[in-house]
Amino acid sequence: MSEMVSINVDGNRIQADKGALLLPTLLKNGIMVPHFCYHDALGPDGNCRMCMVAIEGQKRPQIACDTLVKKDMVVSTKNESINDVKRKILELELLSHPVDCPICDQAGECSLQDYYMEFGLNEARRPKEEKKLKNKKLDIGKNIILDQERCVLCARCTRFTQEITHTNELAIIGRGNDARVSTVPGQEMQTPYAMNIIDLCPVGALTSKDFRFKQRVWFMHSSKGVCHGCAKGCNIYIDHNQEKYKSDTIFRYRPRINNRVNGHFICDEGRLSYKDENNERLSGFYQHNKLISEERAMTHLLHCLTTLHPLLIVSPSLSLEELTVIQVLSQRFNLEVHAFAQGYQDESFEDDWLRSKDRSSNLASVKKLDIKTSKDALIRALECTGLVINFNHRSFLNTKLQDQAILVNKKEIHFASHSFDNCKHKELLIPISSYSENEGTLINEDGVLQRYEAGLCNEKKSLLQILHELISTPATPKEVWDKHLNEVFGFGYEDIGPEGKQL
Amino acid sequence: MSFVFNEENEATFTALLPRYPHHKSLVLPCLWMAQYQEGYISAEAMDFICKKLDVPLAHLYGVATFYTMFYLEEIPKFHIQVCKTLSCELCGKNDILKAIEEEVGLKVNESNELFKVSQVECLGACGGAPMLQLNEDYHENLTPQSTKELLQRFCK
Amino acid sequence: MIQKIVSKNFNIENSHTLEVAKKNGAYQSIDRAFTLKPTDIEIEISKSGLRGKGGGGASAGAKWCLVSVTNEKSYLIVNADESEPGTFKDRQIMQYDPHLLIEGIILTCYAIHSHDAYIYVRGEYKFFADRLNEAIKEAYEDGILGQNVKDFGYRMDITVHRGAGAYICGEKSALVESLEGNRGHPRLKPHEPSPEYYFGKPALVNNVETIASVPFIINEGADAYKAFGTEKSPGTLLFGMSGHINNPGIYEMAFGESMQDFIDKIGGGIKNGKKLKAVIPGGASTPVLNAEEVKLAKLDYESMKEIGSALGTGGMIIMDEDTCMVGALKNLLSFYHHESCGQCTPCREGTAWVDGIIENILNNKGKEDDIDLLSDISKTMNGKTICVFAPAVSMVIDGFILRFRNEFETYIAKSKEAVDV
Repeated sequence: MSEMVSINVDGNRIQADKGALLLPTLLKNGIMVPHFCYHDALGPDGNCRMCMVAIEGQKRPQIACDTLVKKDMVVSTKNESINDVKRKILELELLSHPVDCPICDQAGECSLQDYYMEFGLNEARRPKEEKKLKNKKLDIGKNIILDQERCVLCARCTRFTQEITHTNELAIIGRGNDARVSTVPGQEMQTPYAMNIIDLCPVGALTSKDFRFKQRVWFMHSSKGVCHGCAKGCNIYIDHNQEKYKSDTIFRYRPRINNRVNGHFICDEGRLSYKDENNERLSGFYQHNKLISEERAMTHLLHCLTTLHPLLIVSPSLSLEELTVIQVLSQRFNLEVHAFAQGYQDESFEDDWLRSKDRSSNLASVKKLDIKTSKDALIRALECTGLVINFNHRSFLNTKLQDQAILVNKKEIHFASHSFDNCKHKELLIPISSYSENEGTLINEDGVLQRYEAGLCNEKKSLLQILHELISTPATPKEVWDKHLNEVFGFGYEDIGPEGKQL
Repeated sequence: MSFVFNEENEATFTALLPRYPHHKSLVLPCLWMAQYQEGYISAEAMDFICKKLDVPLAHLYGVATFYTMFYLEEIPKFHIQVCKTLSCELCGKNDILKAIEEEVGLKVNESNELFKVSQVECLGACGGAPMLQLNEDYHENLTPQSTKELLQRFCK
Repeated sequence: MIQKIVSKNFNIENSHTLEVAKKNGAYQSIDRAFTLKPTDIEIEISKSGLRGKGGGGASAGAKWCLVSVTNEKSYLIVNADESEPGTFKDRQIMQYDPHLLIEGIILTCYAIHSHDAYIYVRGEYKFFADRLNEAIKEAYEDGILGQNVKDFGYRMDITVHRGAGAYICGEKSALVESLEGNRGHPRLKPHEPSPEYYFGKPALVNNVETIASVPFIINEGADAYKAFGTEKSPGTLLFGMSGHINNPGIYEMAFGESMQDFIDKIGGGIKNGKKLKAVIPGGASTPVLNAEEVKLAKLDYESMKEIGSALGTGGMIIMDEDTCMVGALKNLLSFYHHESCGQCTPCREGTAWVDGIIENILNNKGKEDDIDLLSDISKTMNGKTICVFAPAVSMVIDGFILRFRNEFETYIAKSKEAVDV
């Protein structure tokens, strides 16, 4: 435990850890100090010189990322002389920077723009014809485009590949103002975490090829989601926008900081899983390939539940609340519930960081509710029924069980968020909203319970809503908690903070 | 075609290794040895050094491109490097360049099969200005005439 | 005026060979040194007031102390990366008296409890690196280096390490980075006095001439060294002269001599009977002096600072009355532009920018406020970077503009005419 001391910043007293770096201390206290090369996950590098502050007793301005907090130190982040220093250093950062804003994807979330608008606003003192030309559209692999002209050489990306992933694909080559970020000639990014450098890059030098020219960032809404790609449960922002005449569409996922789960990063597959989320959405209720009304579908469903003793299969990626309500349903009608977790296992995906071999997102909740997960139990249960009700278990229909040919004579009712082969031909197809449209909670493989908020607004009913209308189970996650889960966990839905709760 | 150190370089490497606390210090010596062996540092040589020293290839490219004396592409047999910094300019570097142009027909940054002409920064021979470095050798106290004679002597 | 402390053997035939060197006193100090304690050597060096001769002029004793107080394995790294324009003195020692350097290395290492020394030689100095290697080989064969220095039971190993063409590797932290197999990027400076660290272990980085001065001090004593020079700048320096001078070369003198005398008496005056216009006193990174200031200048650290310049490496670049000062500044700014390592923004962008501005001025494309712009950029480059490279550029620009502003204004007036016509 380090000692807390009082320091004076711009006339205000704040408490800080003695010996801590000054820059993150200031940032944590909401004091904006411009910076490029410092990053919470990478530490300081001292090369951009933007974070200069005046420290009483020091002749020259100091970089806050290399200054340690001392008791009673007096810091100025914005007097006239420091503002002039900041403006001049920013001018030098912009000196070789191409005027690409109109075509640069970073616009709207670019540090150069932000700082310029805050304390720059000066005319260029060097003609743009004299700017140095470098490579502008290098595809360096893994969906990343490098524009060397826009680069401010903060070295965040090279440090990421050296110190975080240890894959060393990037280096700074050349010298002086000819220096540039590059891969080895002919080589590409390899790490499955490559696209994180797009977020790390404070300017538009590293951009996503996938996102290129698709959307301006100020049109998008950012919802606080959790990636459903595996059991790690990395926190994400779901950036989406509803354009005219179109449905609310996700344009990208970005990592959301959670020091308990994923830190500052996510894997590339998780990041790109937004595409699966967007595609093949379902609308309309179907029975044997005929579009039917919701009323008719619900009537038929109720009839099946009451008379045909179906087996309930749940996806281990459903939310804790959805699983709870399905369990209530199963108890109401005296039915069995199975999760078949094996269908989601993929050993080849696993690594020692953020990728789990369990490609489902909520197996821990399934186990907490004592829902059976084994293949053998499932096969035995299947032998005793003629109807299966599948709650969005995506891999249930692929080869892992198909080759057992045990589904051949079974009727299937599907609650599905996304389309799949012959889905409309089944006994009943009920479209439901997906995780990006719902709020709920998940428990990850390390036992962290996390909440995610509802993101997109598309006109589909959630599973909770449909079951509420069918059999009056709780309609919202909070109601599910109040009625069933508060007792189980010993706390309420509102008590789950932004970094989740370690169980 | 893959690259390995010749016998002499391998022996030098083995002798140098225990003299440093960490093998990473051998980056510069290895780059030099590779350059002496092939006349430049090829991609295969970079690969070889990277494996031999267990340093990342990107790091090696970063180092090799930082220093002006490493060539990552083949260059002509004779590299004429004329010092352009202040003392040499004051003492008539431009006349030397003119003499070179008259003798081999090349201006600065031009090459032909045999020669490459470059200007380089201070070579630490200011007392012998104007001067040039021909491959690895210094030639100081030049005049236009002695420059032409030098090129005739060494390069014909 | 000429002294012979480090240069005493320079004019002796084959002085670089062990045989001749020994005949002329090489390695005698070793016998005395190993009867003393390491701290005694260090104290003697501190007493002598020896200052670093790489351009900085910091106290050698104080620097040694930072390494010797640690109980860890330590290293001596000799800075032979001599690349400062106008400076060509260290090569003389390497060429004519490499054994003096080796002797100094042994003494220094003994004082700081080190057994391994590296001589980082600039890449272009192949001839001098070869000379050093030959001398080192002789020393090993003679038992002066190796497991048992001169039978005193002390291990001493010296390795020559060649750079590959980067001025910035003469900056001591960049030099260590380069020695570690990295790009020559200077390191952030610690908040308290601290040694350099080579792979995490303390390292002393000293200039060639500094180390070569140690044998004399051990042989003759600190007081003998202090007898030369001034109180605060004791001893001698291998001063250099180049440019428009009749007798360019390296001349060892005590600190404190008059610059004008040096130019007239030793340098033989300006070439072709011209008048002196300006002198850059200590290698390019020192503010230029005009002819009036040269008359008043004394060659020691304090006097040069007082007169608004710096002694630096003592390598003087002499410019006659016909020299275009704008062209001279362009030459230097082009040098700095090429040599900036590119790590930090003010230097990387600033050196390129000022080079572009002076190029425009020189080509009659200068703009009215270009001179003030140069001064403004110079202010931004001063005191806000990782190392002293950019502040040096800043001082160079300021020096030229302060003393020769009229020449810049003339060029800019010409540009205006060109535009108006």
